[in-house]
Amino acid sequence: MDEDKELVARSIKGDKEAFEMIIQKYQQPLLNYIGRTVGERELALDFTQEVFIRTYSSLHSYKPQYKFSTWLFKIASNFIIDYWRKKKIDAFSLDHQERDNDLPPLQVPDKELPIVKKLEFSELKGRIEQALEKIPAPLREVFVWRHINEFSYEEMAEIKGLPVGTIKNRVFQARELIRKRLEKKA
Amino acid sequence: MKCLSIEQIYLYIEKELTLSENKKIEAHLAICRKCKKALEERRPLLQASESLPLWQTPPNFTQQVMARIFPARVPLSAWLTAAYAGLGLTTLAIFTIFLVTGQNFSSLLTSLNHSLWNFIRNLSPVFVKFFKVATLFVRVLQQFFEYIIKAFASFTTIISPQVQIIIITIAIILIAFSIYGIKRKILIGEKA
Repeated sequence: MDEDKELVARSIKGDKEAFEMIIQKYQQPLLNYIGRTVGERELALDFTQEVFIRTYSSLHSYKPQYKFSTWLFKIASNFIIDYWRKKKIDAFSLDHQERDNDLPPLQVPDKELPIVKKLEFSELKGRIEQALEKIPAPLREVFVWRHINEFSYEEMAEIKGLPVGTIKNRVFQARELIRKRLEKKA
Repeated sequence: MKCLSIEQIYLYIEKELTLSENKKIEAHLAICRKCKKALEERRPLLQASESLPLWQTPPNFTQQVMARIFPARVPLSAWLTAAYAGLGLTTLAIFTIFLVTGQNFSSLLTSLNHSLWNFIRNLSPVFVKFFKVATLFVRVLQQFFEYIIKAFASFTTIISPQVQIIIITIAIILIAFSIYGIKRKILIGEKA
C-alpha cells in the first residue's frame, strides 16, 4: 500500500493526524492549481480549504485502485467547474470541443529573433503568467497541471475522463495561445 | 520527411517520443531550418513554463482546514459527567434535608413552594398561574412516586429475599450496561 492510501485508510478510521498529513502534502499543489485557475489568492485559499473539506467527507467513496492525487484533483476540478458555472464562464464549449483534435499548422514568425529569445528568463516567466490568465479556462487548467503540478498526460486524462490525445491537444493549444500572446505583446 | 507538426515538436522537447521517432525527428531537424527555428522558439517557452514561481500557503493553513473539519466543541461526555454529578448532588441534598429536618420530601417541597408562591404572587399573575400549574404537577409526580413505592413494598412482601436479590442484581447490571452503551455511542459520535 502506498503512503497516500495508508493515510486515507487511517483517516477513515478517525486518525486526524493522518488527514493532517494529507493536507500538508497536497496544500501547495492544490493551491497552485486552483490559484492559477481562478486568479485570486484569497479566493484560491478558500477554495483549497473547501476542496479538502469535500475530500474528507468523501473519503469513504475513494477506491484504492486509483491514485489518490488523481482522485483529489478530480474533486478540485469539479469544484472549479461548479465555480465557472456559477460565474457563467463557459467552461465547456469555448469553441474547443470541435477543435480538440485539430491543431493549427506549425507557424514560424518571420522575425529574426522570437520574443521568447529576446526576453530575460524571469521576464519571460512574468509574461507567461500574464498570458496564462487570458487563455480559455479549460486550456489554462491543463497547462497548469502539466507545467506546475507536473502531471503526465495519462494522469490528466484520468482526472478529466477524456482521451489522452484530447488532453495533449489542449495542452499544445494552450502553449500556442500563450506563445501567440507573447508575440503580439512584443 | 514532411515538416514537423506542433505536436511532434512539443513531444520531442518533452522527451515523450520513442527512440525511433526521436531519431527521425533529429534527422529532419538537421536538414530543415524552419522546423529547427520552430523548435528553438518553443524550448525556452517550455523551460520557463516549468519554472513558474509557486504560490505558498500561509503557515497556519493546515490548522485552519483542520479547525473547519473538526470544529472545537465541548465533548458530550463532559456534559454527561456534569449531568451525573448534578443528579448525584441533588439526591444527596434531598437526603440531607430529610435527615436534618425530619420532614419528608413532599412536605418540604410543598412548604418551599408555598413560600415561593407568596413571593411571586405579588409580581405577576402570569407567574401565579405558572406556579399553580407547577404545584399541581409536583403533586401529581408525588402521587406517582407514592404509587411506585407502594407497588415496590407489596412486591417485596410477595417475592422471597433470594429472588429479590437476583432481580436487583439484574437491574444493576442492565443500568450499568445502558450507561456504558450511551457513553460509547457518544464517544464514537465525537470521533466521527
